[in-house]
Amino acid sequence: MRRRVVVTGFGALAPNGNTAETFWRATCDGKSGIARIASFDPSGFAVQVAGEVKDFDPLKFVPNRKALKVMGRNIRFGVAASRMAMEHSGLLESPPEPSRFGVVMGSGIVPTDVEEVGQAILASLDEEGRFDLRRFGTTGQKTLFPLWLLKHLPNMVAAHVSIFHQAQGPNNTIVTACSASTQAIGEAMRILERGDADVMLAGGSDSRIDPLSLVGYALLGALSISGREPERVSRPFDRDRDGFVLGEGAGVLVLETEEHAKARGATIYAECAGYGSSFDAFAVTQPEPEGRGAIQSMREALKDARLSTDDIDYISAHGTSTVLNDLAETVAVKKLFGTRAPKVPMSSIKSMIGHLIGAAGALEAVVSVLAIRDGILPPTTNYETRDPQCDLDYVPNVAREARVRTVLSNSFGFGGQNASLVIREYEG
Amino acid sequence: MTARRVVVTGLGMVTPLGVGVARNWQAMLAGESGVRRITRFDVSTMGVQIAGEVYPLPRVPEDGAVPDLGIHARFALVAGREAWADAGLPGARVDPERVGVFIGSGKGISDLERLVGASKAALGAKGPFDYAAFARALPLELSATRREQEDYYQSGSHVARAVGARGPNWVCITACAAGNHAVGEAFCAIRRGEADVILAGGTHSQVDIMSLSGYATLGALSPRNDEPHRASRPFDRKRDGFVLGEGSGVLVLEEYEHARRRGARLRAEIVGYGNTADCYRVTDPQPEGERVELAMRLALKSAGLAPEEIDYINAHGTSTQQNDAMESGAIKRIFGGKGEAPPVSSTKSMIGHLIAAAGAVEAVACVRALEEGVIPPTINYEHADPACDLDYVPNEPREKKLGHAMNNSFGFGGQNIVTILRRA
Repeated sequence: MRRRVVVTGFGALAPNGNTAETFWRATCDGKSGIARIASFDPSGFAVQVAGEVKDFDPLKFVPNRKALKVMGRNIRFGVAASRMAMEHSGLLESPPEPSRFGVVMGSGIVPTDVEEVGQAILASLDEEGRFDLRRFGTTGQKTLFPLWLLKHLPNMVAAHVSIFHQAQGPNNTIVTACSASTQAIGEAMRILERGDADVMLAGGSDSRIDPLSLVGYALLGALSISGREPERVSRPFDRDRDGFVLGEGAGVLVLETEEHAKARGATIYAECAGYGSSFDAFAVTQPEPEGRGAIQSMREALKDARLSTDDIDYISAHGTSTVLNDLAETVAVKKLFGTRAPKVPMSSIKSMIGHLIGAAGALEAVVSVLAIRDGILPPTTNYETRDPQCDLDYVPNVAREARVRTVLSNSFGFGGQNASLVIREYEG
Repeated sequence: MTARRVVVTGLGMVTPLGVGVARNWQAMLAGESGVRRITRFDVSTMGVQIAGEVYPLPRVPEDGAVPDLGIHARFALVAGREAWADAGLPGARVDPERVGVFIGSGKGISDLERLVGASKAALGAKGPFDYAAFARALPLELSATRREQEDYYQSGSHVARAVGARGPNWVCITACAAGNHAVGEAFCAIRRGEADVILAGGTHSQVDIMSLSGYATLGALSPRNDEPHRASRPFDRKRDGFVLGEGSGVLVLEEYEHARRRGARLRAEIVGYGNTADCYRVTDPQPEGERVELAMRLALKSAGLAPEEIDYINAHGTSTQQNDAMESGAIKRIFGGKGEAPPVSSTKSMIGHLIAAAGAVEAVACVRALEEGVIPPTINYEHADPACDLDYVPNEPREKKLGHAMNNSFGFGGQNIVTILRRA
């Protein structure tokens, strides 16, 4: 028997809002969280803008400073969003049965602290200034924080979250880059559907706004170097888009079997009705131009939800603001939706928060739930010049009121992994 | 509708004992050790100087075409291609959209060398870290694709591209449990009908200077530098930590009717899966092993088996004091003591701990054990430990007709994964 899976809570930490509700209001108002990088001096960098989380106090979510020492920024985000989601669902006061409660998080490469590693390297140089592994062994490694390894394991987000909330059931960490947290939500759905848990925390957290990632992504040619004002750089589907902007943050949903949610009288915000995934089998870091993998992923999600394209009221796009992604996604939607494609609104919140990589799909899932709850479609901001090849309804610049019953949320990974979710208004 | 059954139709592996299932199985039955002094980089001043290295590194067809191919992707490509061929899938008529890849994967190695110039530039003059100087210097040493090729997901991407798998593509990292986790989730996905064929497994290398330093600082590694072969000694009283290994194991999991229709050789069947979290500390297993016990019980329940139907347990058996005592205790609470519990062995005694690849390589060993009716030994077992008083198949392989094998994997951070395999 396939159990129905519902959303009973959510938490978010985003560049334009430190709670789900402030993030949602800012997003509906078209407020950008993208600014000049403040966590370090980006003056010499080719890219100097990003969507950073602002004024975040981890001590509001973590009981003591000692615990914080082994928690990198991405872990802190994940812990904070999970706690807000737990609070929102009412489960903080009356926790679920521990063995029937699990966690699946999307995560990814945890950035190297270049200041810390730089000191270790400097302490490992020989007389001629060459890096010497023998000196690393004798002196260099001693300069490192002894528990640094714990901050660099992506699975530690889900591990810390499980410890804080005594979630002793299934625990996993998905690391498929840009589609990681959509896959995490999909997997949590499956776990609940097959009866392996009653409640799951599912989402993702990521933070890659660091010197090394910034240079790495820029070298890859993935980031925008447009030089526009920061809040105007990310412009999905606009003709003059030229790359994505890095963002950071976390989004977590409380997913629950319908039966469990009803039994405890929980508020049900939406239903997770379908999930599908696929692989492009195309080039490294490029989407398939014909969108075959993207179509397959959307089609599988619809099939899983037993719905057709006619049922979709809104598409939460992957929409990264790269030339290739936005075109391939548009092509895929047009092929799958046929003549109806221009009538289905599709927007990208990455225009306001940037690309959160392993957390992107989770925040888009939160937005999908809220679009259903409030009947509002968030806009694609910075949409100024129509691209003749991207000719769908991207909800340009201004949010729109609409009756939203069913949302399709897409995440298409850098490595070719695609994942789609169908989130629906709950009907008992 | 009757539940779809999931069978194993192909195997591939690369470990410190060599490349290929045949070579590995022969070496495991001979009780060989793949652990030795590290040759890949200078370890002369490191506290721990030993590991299980894959030497020489196998070449792959992607060499040349893919700059900066990560070591994790390299190992997965080698084991994945072997498993694909072993299953008779090259040239077979399968729907690529119904073929998936599920990999528990570490990332590629981020060496320090490429940060030397940028670090010197940023810290050269006294004063605060000069980010602008860092930004100018780094691109001189970092190639455009290097960082992206290091990412975890690349192993799933490369394997899927190599065999043309367009179905679900899933990459997880639950530390030491990830490879077994992939097998368990792939089992669920096929049973549910999301794919007909999934290449499932794990791949990892942490034989690099930073990981070696990091794990050694945590006190997790055996410092037995003068006797590398004898360093990994699960369940032995004088065990003193695990030994890092590297490599990959991949299994072709296939829906039973699909496999039968195409005349595939059925190697084993996956019948049970359990997944729990310790919720104790991020650095240590919960000492009583309560959630490890629960994972084993859940796997038994999902397989519909009683404890006495398990004929062999491939232990997590890392060779740390804590894990081996905790695991033995949990096994005893379910299966009873020596004489009642089935034989337990740890292949980590021979290849070290392959972290995200460990559970997958052990799953391959379980399939071979079921097929051949031979249990691979726990080598270096010399001193009985009162805290570990089960039958660990010490030092010599053992012939025994096996119906079901249980595969245990427990991740650093508290993820516990147990799968159960049945003889075909």
